[in-house]
Amino acid sequence: MTDRIARTVETAVPERSRASALAQTLLRSEWPWMLYLAFVILLVVFSFASPWFLSIDNFLNIGRQTTLVSIVAIGMTFVIIAGQIDLSVASALALSGMAAALAMAHIANFWFVGALAGLGTGALVGLINGALTTRLAIPSFLVTLGTLSAARGLAMMVTDTKPVIITNERYFRIFGEGNLLGLPAPIAWTLAATIGGVLLLHYNIFGRRIYAAGGNPTAALYSGIQIKRVTTWAFVLTGALAGLAALVLSARSHAARPDVVQGMELDVIASVILGGCSLFGGRGFILGTLLGSLIIGTLNNGLVLLGVSSPMQLIIKGAIIVAAVAFTKR
Amino acid sequence: MKVSSPVRFALASGVAMGALALLSAAALADVPASCVKGVDLATLGPTSIVGQGPHGEKAASVDMLKLSDADAEKVKAGHFKVGISMQTVNLDWSQLQVQGITDTLKKYGVSVTGVASAEYQVDKQIADIENTIQQHPDGIISIPVDFTATAPTYKKVSQAGIKLVFMDSIPTGLEHPKEYASMVSADSQGNGQIAAQILASCVDKGGTIGLVNFGVDYFSTNERTKGVREWMQKNRPDIKMKQVDFTDPSKVSQIAGDFLTANPDIKGVFAVWDQPALDTLSAMRAQNIDIPVTTVDLGLQSAIEIAKGGPLKATGSQRPYDQGAAEAMAMMNALIGKETPAWVGVQSLPVVQSNVLESFKTVFKKDPPAELTDACNAAKPACN
Repeated sequence: MTDRIARTVETAVPERSRASALAQTLLRSEWPWMLYLAFVILLVVFSFASPWFLSIDNFLNIGRQTTLVSIVAIGMTFVIIAGQIDLSVASALALSGMAAALAMAHIANFWFVGALAGLGTGALVGLINGALTTRLAIPSFLVTLGTLSAARGLAMMVTDTKPVIITNERYFRIFGEGNLLGLPAPIAWTLAATIGGVLLLHYNIFGRRIYAAGGNPTAALYSGIQIKRVTTWAFVLTGALAGLAALVLSARSHAARPDVVQGMELDVIASVILGGCSLFGGRGFILGTLLGSLIIGTLNNGLVLLGVSSPMQLIIKGAIIVAAVAFTKR
Repeated sequence: MKVSSPVRFALASGVAMGALALLSAAALADVPASCVKGVDLATLGPTSIVGQGPHGEKAASVDMLKLSDADAEKVKAGHFKVGISMQTVNLDWSQLQVQGITDTLKKYGVSVTGVASAEYQVDKQIADIENTIQQHPDGIISIPVDFTATAPTYKKVSQAGIKLVFMDSIPTGLEHPKEYASMVSADSQGNGQIAAQILASCVDKGGTIGLVNFGVDYFSTNERTKGVREWMQKNRPDIKMKQVDFTDPSKVSQIAGDFLTANPDIKGVFAVWDQPALDTLSAMRAQNIDIPVTTVDLGLQSAIEIAKGGPLKATGSQRPYDQGAAEAMAMMNALIGKETPAWVGVQSLPVVQSNVLESFKTVFKKDPPAELTDACNAAKPACN
């Protein structure tokens, strides 16, 4: 008897664990199906309300419009699950965009020079956030509030608040306007970031350590997890993804400006929380974050299609976000 | 912890990015341009100031502020001092204003005591003005960051016997000529008319245009949209107008993109200043829409877009340096006790592909940078 059970378990484990791991990934939240349901309800309502909503082109619009928030929110998911917060992402994005454009203008006008400069600058801001938070034990809320201000100031100072024009057509195509694998480039990058995020958070030891660091730091510490290092990496990842978002934005607008996306960190945090992440750490999942960002993006899009006045849009958006969080969190 | 997994991830994503980049395809659609040619530059735009001041006053022209030789002597003999209080000094617009003011005042021997920047904060501006009053200047030139909260402080300026010249707007309740000498602003409505006239030349009979408007009640942006609407109603009543408002300038790309999706009949767009126009262009590129766009204000990037001959056809530009010079002239008139007009309008400047380089020089008082001349050279002979 015992023997049989043991053998069954032995043979069945690999297949079952893979399937259940996938299911867990999709459903790693208390009420995740509520989130999917909320999204579907939103789609149905807008489809009936506006004749322009239900089309491939419009969904591509939503995909493109949510790119920046989605990409950065994937990084933010790691930071928030690790029990931290990063308020500096919008400033890091602005600074990375400036670095990318300046590198192409002054070092060499090749797309990868801009890409390296942008990603590197974002990662560096993340590294500073991570190092200050973990090594000096300053709460990340305060550290990143500081870098929010400093990075924005630096972005404005480098050109005395002037925009930097980008002239590299290849850069525009790769990050902003071309097609990658049949998808508009911004959507392809969102997809790449999502897949990378899912693999790293849900299928990698690094992801488990992130959960441990945020869920129960004391237990994590006694299990031999170097919380400081894990947390720092989460910040670096978020910074680098802000850099990627900067590449997409600057390629779309053919220039980098120091004053872009002010206040975007709030949209990013809202997406992550709406997507089922706990602000106190230890809980959350990548697809939820993507869904959170898409819900907010769909709301923005649908309300404009319906011709709702802009003050009214803000009110409706606020109400629906709070309702959705209440509904999905219970 | 071993750091190998994140490093591996970084490497893997680097490789993935490279691969994705190599797979990139799709070129930008070419943008045909022929519409602006129907408009004669010489007759483009209003020949005088068309708008009205905030209190419905008629505009005085800059020429009215000229000083005779005798007046100029009086100014020089006065050894006057003037303070400047700005909302910010971080914009090209404000830097050019300050430059126009100081260059002109210097010519007549008037010194500038200092330039304060309020960083858009009411309390900072109130402190700035109070501090400037303490320096006992003869005059203050200022742009209020707010219409109501700064008003009592500005009243203190006239009570202290200091002459006051405003740029662009007047705080609520201040009376001319008792409490301020003059207000100098761009002819926003005239700028709107220029944008309307060129846009109309690009839209077929019975077509529809979209207005991307600022949804916040603000004098100069209201005037621009009003200028477009009135010109269309008078000269092209066949054109239908639809409007979308934005309140957060960072969201224009999304809002304009959705607006164009919901209104596929739109054949041309007016955006209320150059940055929203550029954001509209980026949404249009993403959605493969190629329709003419016109706007108001000139910046380096909008100049480059116009030079290239893409969808951005024209802008009605302000002339901040010339406006600053006019403010200085109004101030000096007031200082020697001459009567000054309540509102002085600085005439608009139409900018299209064929005059973009020259216009850049006119507005910025310097040679165009290499990015602009390169873009223009690539589009020769249409660009000049």
